[in-house]
Parts: sequence; structure tokens; C-alpha cells
Amino acid sequence: MGKKVLVVDDDPDVRLFNVTVLEEHGYTPLVATNGEEGRNLAKQEKPDLVILDVLMPRESGIRLYRELKTDKTLKHIPIIMLSGIAEKSFLRSQKVLAEFGDATVPEPEAYLEKPVEAEDLAATIKKIIG
Amino acid sequence: MNRILLVDDEPDILRVLGISLRADGYAVLTASSGEEALAIFARETPELVITDIKMPGMNGIEVLREVKHISEETEVIIITGHGDIDSAIEALHYGASDFINKPVRDKQLTIALKRAQDKIHIKRQLREYTATLEHKVEAATREIRRRSNFQGKLIRSSNDGIVATDEALRIVIYNPGAERIFGYPQQDVIHRMRIQELYTPEIVDLFRAGVMEENGLKEFPWQETSIVSGNGENIPVRFSGSILHENDRKMGSVAFFQDLREIKRLERELLKAERLAAVGQTVAGLAHGLKNILHGLKGGSYLVDLGIKKDDTAKLKSGWDMIKRNIGRTSELVLDLLTYSKEREPEFEDCFPNEIAADVADLLAEKARESRVEIKKSLDPSISKVSMDPRIIHNALLNLMTNAIDACLFDEDTGKKWQIDIATTLEDDNSIRFDVSDNGAGMSNEVREKLFTSFFSTKGHRGTGLGLMVTRKLVEEHGGWIDVISAPGKGTTFTIRLPFEAAGEKRQNPAFDRKL
Repeated sequence: MGKKVLVVDDDPDVRLFNVTVLEEHGYTPLVATNGEEGRNLAKQEKPDLVILDVLMPRESGIRLYRELKTDKTLKHIPIIMLSGIAEKSFLRSQKVLAEFGDATVPEPEAYLEKPVEAEDLAATIKKIIG
Repeated sequence: MNRILLVDDEPDILRVLGISLRADGYAVLTASSGEEALAIFARETPELVITDIKMPGMNGIEVLREVKHISEETEVIIITGHGDIDSAIEALHYGASDFINKPVRDKQLTIALKRAQDKIHIKRQLREYTATLEHKVEAATREIRRRSNFQGKLIRSSNDGIVATDEALRIVIYNPGAERIFGYPQQDVIHRMRIQELYTPEIVDLFRAGVMEENGLKEFPWQETSIVSGNGENIPVRFSGSILHENDRKMGSVAFFQDLREIKRLERELLKAERLAAVGQTVAGLAHGLKNILHGLKGGSYLVDLGIKKDDTAKLKSGWDMIKRNIGRTSELVLDLLTYSKEREPEFEDCFPNEIAADVADLLAEKARESRVEIKKSLDPSISKVSMDPRIIHNALLNLMTNAIDACLFDEDTGKKWQIDIATTLEDDNSIRFDVSDNGAGMSNEVREKLFTSFFSTKGHRGTGLGLMVTRKLVEEHGGWIDVISAPGKGTTFTIRLPFEAAGEKRQNPAFDRKL
């Protein structure tokens, strides 16, 4: 049984893609379609890695990201952000939130901009959790 | 109490008359000669003098003249001998107020005194009145001067150009504000120019009609126009004016001009900035949408490759489905973009709005059933055949109904019995109201504010972020407007009001009409 990787994305295409890549490379995918599901699964399953979309309806990926990174029991879990938003926009949003008095959270372990090649995704995962 | 100076060379008369006058309540001074009388008069200035006319030394006439010389207002009564008409006439000539004959009778004296008293009283009143009047005139003059100064300063310091004419339309007021707009110096304009040389022919006609014609307009409300300045520059201005009246008489005209050059420049800059911002936003939003689609296509090809390599039909199929879905998303995005970017004039033709609404409801019946949403129609039977753009109604309702189903789909309260209502109402003689309501997820204020902006979507991968923007554009091109009310968890109602023409009528560009 491979390492557990939690995929949080509202887009079924992205989920299918991520899950396939993970399975092809011997990981065990866990799937959540929104932030709330993602939070619950992360707490329950304590995955080795989370792959997270920045923009999701209802509850944004940014919020889940900040929750995971500030939760004592979860903040050690590495996160790969996978998004259509440019990395520098995402980092700027984090800086702005910190300036507004919210907690400063560490940068994600990796940031991939869509569209991403299967090999690149696999290589990034391998680099982080082996 | 009046004081009387009594003058007579006969001591008996002085004594008798003195007693009689004192008894009547007067303060009496007596003198037995003209000279003595004048000395007392100079010292005491009594209001009344009664003097005998025939006296040794200075006679009564001379006393009269001296007294009147000293004090014009003193009343002098002359006592004449019997039948001395000439002296009496002379006395009156010198300003005696009355004369009485000797021997002096009480009754005669009383009447003469009463007349003199009345005269004194009237004179005093007149004097006071005159004094007050002078004072008042002075104060009023000061006030008028002050106001006139104030108004002059107001006119001078007004930022607006102010030009006033007399009834012959000759320019009499032309302030520095007008100088700045028209470019001619004041001294070349006032009393030298006629409005024909300053205003455009349209404005001249307005004033000419207002002044010359009985039923010409008297007030010209603010309107945008342009004037040609002294150096030939075309200057955009706001103009208003009126014909001035005093009672029924026309006094002239006044015109106000506001320089719009700066405002126009700022408007142009703002427009440019907005367009640039819109382009920036569009590119950013578009890039995000395209990246997601590209990601889907890449993911799809990855799955197809994998399926071929491993001869795995399931993977092959899911990969191919993914590619097809993303081709679908591409065409939706492109179509929305095309609709949004294209300026399209509504094409009015005869149609039945209720039928269009029912068609849209039928079209979405399958999707609604899948999503466990019930569609209810309440269509106003008084709406019949009208002239509107049926494509706009169809597109707008289809978009709003699709949104309404999605709003139910996104609702977390799965215990709810979801329902969408589509209603039409004949609002008045020229507009129809369409309401699309759902009892789904509803929206926060934050979401509602962003609703009609580009690439804002709460639907994640499902939305292009253009739908409502396109809907609003179509509705506005049709000369109508769109409203929304919503409460999180309760649902949302979108309302569209669209104007129509009677069946058989065409209308050109109603959006343009509305702007005017």
C-alpha cells in the first residue's frame, strides 16, 4: 500500500487526472470534492501529501490551505497547490492576508500552474514524499 | 405744555390776557416791547408768540419777522386794532399763523390758539416723519449698494460664465468666467457685442424667441452644447438660461455656461482607464479559464495515452470523455465571449413571450428532473403577441433558469424540496416583467456585488464567469434592466424588465433611445 495522497478539487476532470497519475506511480489516492470534505479527510486519514486547488466554489482552497497549515496536528503535511492562478498571485494573496492581521503561514511545498504534465506532477510528488 | 410769549405795550392787557392764558394751562412769558420780546424769545424759544401790532419802537410786524427769521416753526398770532385789515394782510404775508381783533375775546383767542396748536403739532409730526424718512432712505440706499456690490462680486467670482443682456439683447454683464470660456476680453464685449457674435445660432434663436415672441420659452434647462471661442476653438459647455421679467415687462436675458473641457478630458481618461482595466481583467480571467480547459485536455490525452499503452478501454473512454467535456467548455467560453464582445442591435419581431418562457422551461425539464428540481410556471394570460427580440428573451431566460438549477444543486440543505418559478407579468403598456426565482443556495452580499462582472463564477469548473454579464448586456441592449434579490440559504430571484412594441411595430435601437 503506497503513501496516501489527498486530492482536493471540485473539477472531476482534475480529480480523475490526479488520481490516475497517483495510481500509476504507486500512491494511494484519497478524493475530496470541496474544502469541507478535504478538511475532514485530512483529519481522519492523516495523508502524507495534499494536492489542493486554489479556487473552489463554496469554500476556497486558500482557506483550507491556511487551516491545514495552522492546525497543530496537520501542519507537517506537505501541500502541492495546483491551480490556474499564477504562483505569484497566490503568494501575494497570502502576504496581503498576513498584513491584515491573519496568521503568516509557510509557503506550500510546491506550486504547480495548470496545465501540468503528468510527468511533472509525478516528479514533484516524488521529490517531496519519495 | 406749550409756552406762550405775550407781547403788548399796555400792561393791563398783558396782565388780563396773562391770567386768562395761565388759567387755560399755558406757561406765559410777557414782554412790554418788541425789543424785550426778542430778547426773551432768543433765551426761551417758546412755541407760540402773541403780539400786539401797534407798539412804540419795534412794532408787531417786525417782531413777527424777527421771530420767523430765528425760528421758522414758531407760530405767531397778531393782535390787530379794529378794522386794521392792511396790517393783518401784511402780517399774514410774513407768516403769521392767525390774527385776532381787539378787544380780545376769550372765544376768539381759544380758537386762534387751538389752530396754532394744531399747526405746531402737524409741523412736529411732519418734521419727525421727514427725519425718519431720510434715515430710512439712507439705510435702504446703503443696503441696495451693499447688495449690488455683493451680487456684482458673486457674478464676478462665479466659476460659471454668466452673460446677461438687456431687452434688445445687447450684452450688459459678462463675467471673468465667461471671459475664460469665450476668450474675448470684457471690454470688447460689454455694450459692444450682440449675442449673435457670442452664442451659437441655436442659442441665439432660443433667446430671440424668448424675448420677441409671446409664447417663446422663458426658461432653458441645463443642456450640453458647444460654443466657438474667440480663437476658433470648439468648447464643450453646459448651458442654461432664462428670460428676465419685471412684472409683465421683459428686461433682458441671462445665460450660464459651464466649461466642460476638463470634465470631458477626465471622462475620456476614465473611459480609457476603464477599458484598459477591463482588458486586463478579461485577459487574466480568460487565462484562468483557458488554463483549466488546457489542463482538462492534457489530462484527457494522458488518460487516452495510458489507455492505448495498457490496452485499457475504461481509461481510454474516460480520457476521451474528458477531452470531449473540455472541448464543450471551450465552445461555451468562446460563444459567451463572442456574444459579449459583439455589439448587436436587438431585432424586434412579433412573438409570444409566454411561449418563449414555456419553451425554456421545457428545454431544461430534463436537467431539472436529474437535479431533483421542480419547475413551476405562472405566465400572465394578458400577455399576447408583441414585438420584441425573441432571441434575447430566450437567451436571458435560459441563462437565468440554468443558474437557478445550479443554485439548487449547490444548496447544502439537501432536505429542501427545490423549486424554480418562472413568472411573466404585463407591467404596463410597454414592458413585460420576467421573474426567475429559486429556493436554492442564495448568495452573500459579496457574491451579489460581483455578479455582473466578468469571469466571476461561483461554479468552479462549471461556469465561464460570463453568463450573467452576457445576460445583462443583452437585456440592456433591449432597453430593459435586470435586478436581483437574494438571501443565503433562502434562494434568489432575478427580475428582467423588457420594453415591447405593439405587434407589427419595429423599433430601432431602443438602448440608444433610453440613453437619451
